[in-house]
Amino acid sequence: MERVGLGIGFGLVTGGVLALSAIAFTLQYAVSRIPNLAHGELLTYGAYAGYVATRWSHSLAVAALAAALIGGAIGWGINAAMIEPFLRARVRTTAIFIGTLAVSLVLQNIILLVFGGASLAYALPAEDSNRVGPFLWTLRDEQSMAAALVVMLLLYVLLHHTKFGKALRAIADNRDLARVSGIQTHRIIQGTWCLAGVVAGFAGFVLAVTLGTLTPSLGFTFLLVTMAAAVAGGLGRPQGALAAALLIGIAMEVSALYADASYKLLVAFALLVLVLLVRPSGLVAGDRGGAVG
Amino acid sequence: MREYLIALATEGCIFSIMALGLNVIWGWAGDLDFAFYGYIAIGAYMAMVTSIGRLPAPAQYVLGWHLPFPLAALIATASAGLLALGVGAIALRRLRAVYFAIVTLSAVLMLQTVISDYTPLFNGFDGLYGMPQPFNDTLHLSPQGYSLFFLAFCALCLAIVYVLLERLSESPFGRALRAVREQERAAAAFGRSVYALKLTAYVIGAALGGLGGALLAASQGAFNPTAWPPAETLDLYVAIFIGGMGNIRGVILGVFLVLVVFQESTRFIPALWGNPNVSVAAREILLGLMILVAMRYRIQGLWPERARPGRGRTAARPAADPRPALLDVRGLSKRFGGVEVVRDCSFDVREGTVVGLIGPNGAGKSTAVDLITGFATPDAGVVRFAGREIQGWAPDRIARFGLMRTFQLPHEWPGLTVMENMMLAAPARGRDAIWRPFFAAGALRRAERADRERAGDLLEKFQLLDLRDEPAGHLSGGEKRLLEFARIAMAQPRLMILDEPMGGVNPVLGARLADAIAHLVALGVTVVIVEHDLAFLERVCDIVLVMALGTVIAAGPLAALRADRVVIDAYLGEAPVHA
Repeated sequence: MERVGLGIGFGLVTGGVLALSAIAFTLQYAVSRIPNLAHGELLTYGAYAGYVATRWSHSLAVAALAAALIGGAIGWGINAAMIEPFLRARVRTTAIFIGTLAVSLVLQNIILLVFGGASLAYALPAEDSNRVGPFLWTLRDEQSMAAALVVMLLLYVLLHHTKFGKALRAIADNRDLARVSGIQTHRIIQGTWCLAGVVAGFAGFVLAVTLGTLTPSLGFTFLLVTMAAAVAGGLGRPQGALAAALLIGIAMEVSALYADASYKLLVAFALLVLVLLVRPSGLVAGDRGGAVG
Repeated sequence: MREYLIALATEGCIFSIMALGLNVIWGWAGDLDFAFYGYIAIGAYMAMVTSIGRLPAPAQYVLGWHLPFPLAALIATASAGLLALGVGAIALRRLRAVYFAIVTLSAVLMLQTVISDYTPLFNGFDGLYGMPQPFNDTLHLSPQGYSLFFLAFCALCLAIVYVLLERLSESPFGRALRAVREQERAAAAFGRSVYALKLTAYVIGAALGGLGGALLAASQGAFNPTAWPPAETLDLYVAIFIGGMGNIRGVILGVFLVLVVFQESTRFIPALWGNPNVSVAAREILLGLMILVAMRYRIQGLWPERARPGRGRTAARPAADPRPALLDVRGLSKRFGGVEVVRDCSFDVREGTVVGLIGPNGAGKSTAVDLITGFATPDAGVVRFAGREIQGWAPDRIARFGLMRTFQLPHEWPGLTVMENMMLAAPARGRDAIWRPFFAAGALRRAERADRERAGDLLEKFQLLDLRDEPAGHLSGGEKRLLEFARIAMAQPRLMILDEPMGGVNPVLGARLADAIAHLVALGVTVVIVEHDLAFLERVCDIVLVMALGTVIAAGPLAALRADRVVIDAYLGEAPVHA
């Protein structure tokens, strides 16, 4: 039981970052109906921007800001340069899907070109762990969870209590209806991609800080778990993504205490398949085909 | 140099077989499968453990047989197909495109983890080695002679795969598959089981991947988990994409261009700036840019999938006998969230009649149609059609049983020609079974010819004959609607439900549509029309049903209904809303 408690503690840390990443992924999907396979690179760029900013300024706050900004810029760029034009040209969804993979390939290898393939270390001072109830956390763990919580609360307010959030949800529900209702869908969708980029870039920075290292494939590896969480939660549903991310984060960390760490990913995906077998559209009924009639 | 070229050509043949397998899954059936490289790996591993015999310890693995290569390759192909049957059975059922992609991705990751970590299976992370050169224990060729022989053998395999796939592509099975890719719901409405078709395609594609894997193992002599990161599947996608998705020749062209010419030529990008990553990174960036450029400027690929022209025509067949009470609906109910959209709805439709269904917006007309045709499941009630209770059946089963529908927006398969759209509507009678083009090919050809002639005849009646080789996506809205009616005539259902056929259609075309409906009735089809246009209904309908608040409140000739107080309150009093 002692170990399970520890596992849940670590799981909450992983789950917090995962939730940010999965919510960003799911928001993009909600407005564009295209899963963005270059999502991982938003995290990677956030992490590297944070790394460079830390070296310059020695301030984690500046680093976090840099990570969020670069993530937002890239999210904006991907939609403006690729997703929107292809959607307008009525390119097949699966083809655009492959296109985002191509973007991922390009972005990932630019990092490889500039920074090299070796993993870079975040030279942060080591910290002691302290006990909180059954959990064992470092100060940095606690900060990362607090940051995730704050970002999620901000997102909640933004989605439910602002005009932008209402428009976003209207578009997610029915893009055509939103358009004929006078919502400026184009601007809201652009804004959503930018917002998701900001969240993902920040998540990448938090991830790199908790891991202590960063590599060009950091985000791509994390994308797999992100998609597992977003899909298990029901694509396009932020609350579902949050619930699934915590569930998957905890399951992964608990399993890592009992089995080899290479099985972590396996646990995440086993959980996903299980959820989909029981509820094909995810925990919170996610994206379904448009009803005819 | 000669050796190098031979090796490249061999590689090209092997990759072509793999890409053709993936093309069946992605290009034809439209499924984004990330597990594909796993099937290649299973093929490679199975070919090895059935032909390398026993390696010295500490290597450990299953089987360790010493079979001749053709047998080993057969086992490899079958194993990959079997694995795909398992994965596909789970992933294709009820899962939409995105979910399918992600589930297959997780499947391949699990497979890779298990194979790398569980040593007794295929020797874990170290992989297998010592694959004997196929046939060389009897041939005893020199190394040069053998590499040429092996190239010829791979080319032969590719040729066989090519011929088989070409045949399949032209067959009703291939057409049905492409129909599913273009328009899943319409395919189901015309009696095609989407799940069965997709699963069959998935297994065939994976089996070809397994064959490719066996050949790969034979050419490399060794195989281990580092040889197959999931990203490798991307290269195959790029090749298909650049070459021409769906087109067999285009795919082979793409493989030779992308996987052979491009990969080999970029291998020589020098290590600039003293950075050893440059050549790797630059190649991947170029690959990514190639995809994006192709998407922007030539989405259909260098060698696009062509629409197939049709031939010939003859006379239509006589009408069926009219009989009473074909459709009987009792107590139908459906609740969405807190709202009961259809509430205890009952009515019947007699054979050989034309019945109109009217009601204000939100009366539950379209939902009732969905419930009757299987596109939604009723919470309560009985739908009896031709003497059988059909509530809860899948839409394609109901369609095959003779009850078909149209949608408010015309559904066509835009990438298929008008003629192909018609051929897909012909009753299947097991003709798109995968084995038909290979066995019983003569009977198939005869049936196909008869259908083609009938389709031509119907197209002439509906004034679409000039457009028969045109992709259906190029038709105008009204022509699409006419094509839909022609497809119905082709399919010969016993009952047809038309959901707002006049929506957004100009008056001139309206007259043509009325003629078309009269033609359907003459063919013996019973018709139910959901419509707002009362003048149109008055012209074509025998009986009109009035729906309000989820239930049928009145039925009878429209002239009689005009005097009915309840009906006037519910519907006629309110100005009918036109789109």
